[in-house]
Amino acid sequence: MKYILMMNAKKSDFEAYARWSKQDLQANVAFMRSFTKELKDSGVFVASEGLSWPHEAKLVRAGSKGEPITDGVFPESKEFLAGYWIIDVEGPEQAYGIAARLSQGRGTEGRTGSMSVEVRQVLSGHSDLGL
Amino acid sequence: MKYILMMSGTKAGVSGYQAWPQRDRDTHMQTLRDLVKDLTETGEFVATQSLADSKEAKVVRGEKNGLPVTDGIFPESKEFLLGYWIVDVATPERAYVIAGRISAAPGPGGIPTNMPIEVRQFAAG
Repeated sequence: MKYILMMNAKKSDFEAYARWSKQDLQANVAFMRSFTKELKDSGVFVASEGLSWPHEAKLVRAGSKGEPITDGVFPESKEFLAGYWIIDVEGPEQAYGIAARLSQGRGTEGRTGSMSVEVRQVLSGHSDLGL
Repeated sequence: MKYILMMSGTKAGVSGYQAWPQRDRDTHMQTLRDLVKDLTETGEFVATQSLADSKEAKVVRGEKNGLPVTDGIFPESKEFLLGYWIVDVATPERAYVIAGRISAAPGPGGIPTNMPIEVRQFAAG
């Protein structure tokens, strides 16, 4: 079963992250790298990506002729995707265990964070929705 | 440049979609499949995924002892990721055009859904 683990954060959280000390940032990145490496070593890793800053995010709608209409204004409360990991595991409990490890990733001054991680099953096909 | 195009919706929005006539849902999905085919032919397609129903979604935090604490209660207004497309394009404008095509996919009665599609670039490195 494939699951996606999503790290979401508000703009203010991204701004706070950008102000972390260099040492804290390096420790955080080192944690993320070793976390991904462990997933690869245990054979559950499928894919992972980090996303760029939310101020570059755009919302696109189709105009009447199908042309893209872009908007970059979001509510302050909006949570932006910061990054994700897709894993292929035996069941949801294993996915929750891995998400908990991610949630504990190193924060500022070496403290373990308690960032929430959204866990969703990835479908092998649209027919899985049972429609 | 790699971009992710994300389609999100609330629980109410998903219920609305599930109430569409089967024929309208089939037309909608065929349009999205055609888009993936076009992107594959232009060499811009990287990946796409649909996500399972939001009622199975969980938010997980790690306790001090490392055990996962799961919660499945979300505010009604929460937008859940429904699916995404990853494309590798020459410019952001091209990513916006592709997102516009997704937004223009037909809904009930063939009228475009006009759903907003969030476009984000991947971080380099």
